[in-house]
Amino acid sequence: MGYYHTPSSIEDALSIADKYNDNYTFFAGGTDIQIYRKQKLDLNEHIIDLSLINNINTISMKNGTLSLGAMATLDEIFVSKKIQNNFPLIAKSVNSVATPVLRKTATIGGNLLVKNRCTFYNQSKGWRDSIGSCLRDVGDICQVTGGKDDCYARNVSDAATALIALNAKAVLTSLNGVEHRLVKDLYLPCGIKSHNLSKGTILTQIHLSLSPVKWWYKKLRLRKTLDFTSLTVAATVNKTGIVRVCLNGASMSPILIKESLDLLTLELLIKQARKHCKAVDNDLMPLKYRKQMINVFLEECWETISQKDTRTQSSK
Amino acid sequence: MSLIQTKLTVNGYTHSLLVNADETLLFTLREQLYLTGTKEGCNQGSCGSCTVLINGKPVLSCMTPTLRCANKKITTIEGISGGETLHLVQKYLVSDGGLQCGFCTPGVVMTAVPYLEENPDVNRKEIKESLSGNLCRCTGYKKIIDAVENASKEMKK
Repeated sequence: MGYYHTPSSIEDALSIADKYNDNYTFFAGGTDIQIYRKQKLDLNEHIIDLSLINNINTISMKNGTLSLGAMATLDEIFVSKKIQNNFPLIAKSVNSVATPVLRKTATIGGNLLVKNRCTFYNQSKGWRDSIGSCLRDVGDICQVTGGKDDCYARNVSDAATALIALNAKAVLTSLNGVEHRLVKDLYLPCGIKSHNLSKGTILTQIHLSLSPVKWWYKKLRLRKTLDFTSLTVAATVNKTGIVRVCLNGASMSPILIKESLDLLTLELLIKQARKHCKAVDNDLMPLKYRKQMINVFLEECWETISQKDTRTQSSK
Repeated sequence: MSLIQTKLTVNGYTHSLLVNADETLLFTLREQLYLTGTKEGCNQGSCGSCTVLINGKPVLSCMTPTLRCANKKITTIEGISGGETLHLVQKYLVSDGGLQCGFCTPGVVMTAVPYLEENPDVNRKEIKESLSGNLCRCTGYKKIIDAVENASKEMKK
């Protein structure tokens, strides 16, 4: 099985994708999708490697607007002085992903579009077959809830958490043209179809402007460098006092809470987060603990964002 | 299954090979070129024992499609020493007892060497962070960190 395509332009990549209909997989860094292929979770015959396409891996800043090429690696983003000086929240978030070596290969675009994860799905084929498979695979029921309708696989993108808190925009390119969309609108609250992207669309750039006056970021995971997030929280406060808190790893899509700092209270923040959180027991950490940690993180976050000092941060 | 012809330059030698689209660099190195110094551990990007250099940059060969490596310079553990002379990182791993079963050692060396070349002034904490993707089940890590720290001191001289 398999054909490997190395297009040198976005147009070429889109033409190849169009030619092979649904039977292709885009490869950015490949650090996540490679495991899907090994575990027989991605069986598409055509691999379209985006690494030879020029101009989609650059990091530039013009008139206060930061442009991140989707193929920029997490390490390139972390070491960029433009990012460390102006958007430390992004630097912190990309540096919390995986290991130093993997970050030299993994890309920001790939991290934003990482597939949702579940302990009953992201396993070898033999393991999945042994439990009768699940709704997202070839089975009939969700192995976590026993339900037949909904998949609760979690979105685990750390970059998305930070970029949504920063109100970033994504540039999407398809044969129909170029579309600008808020990063938060890239996601759907569904474990199976977790991204609101039509086939034959490539994420090429991420744009964001105005560094926040305050920010906070923290990630919960069992083993640093080994595990995907169990809960990530990123928060920003801008000059006009608008708070944006994004939680990820707790639900099928990132949860955004946006409110004026004057109107927001810790109780309201926790209430909103709890209301939108659709966490089920599909992570290495127990559900009860993860739910408790939402309160713990939001309390810590609130301490920082409600203070009058500027540009403070915390991380784990 | 269709095989695709490609050329790989590994440790200074160019090889013409037939590979399939899903073939990883790790498989090609071990099974086609018999360069078995690069180890297959977890095979899913967690343990670091398959680390090699592509154009001087450390990558996990179990996650890298072979076809992505055409026209790039690949260095494996077999190509890191200067003939009979061990690299300083290798030398200190031996003298400081930084290995027991040795399975993780090629990955440790291939991660530490480019890191020390890129960052000559490193402290112990930074060394630990840089090696955080290399799992070792024997040593408890202390002696590996000692060895890399001693190598960095000598490289600075």
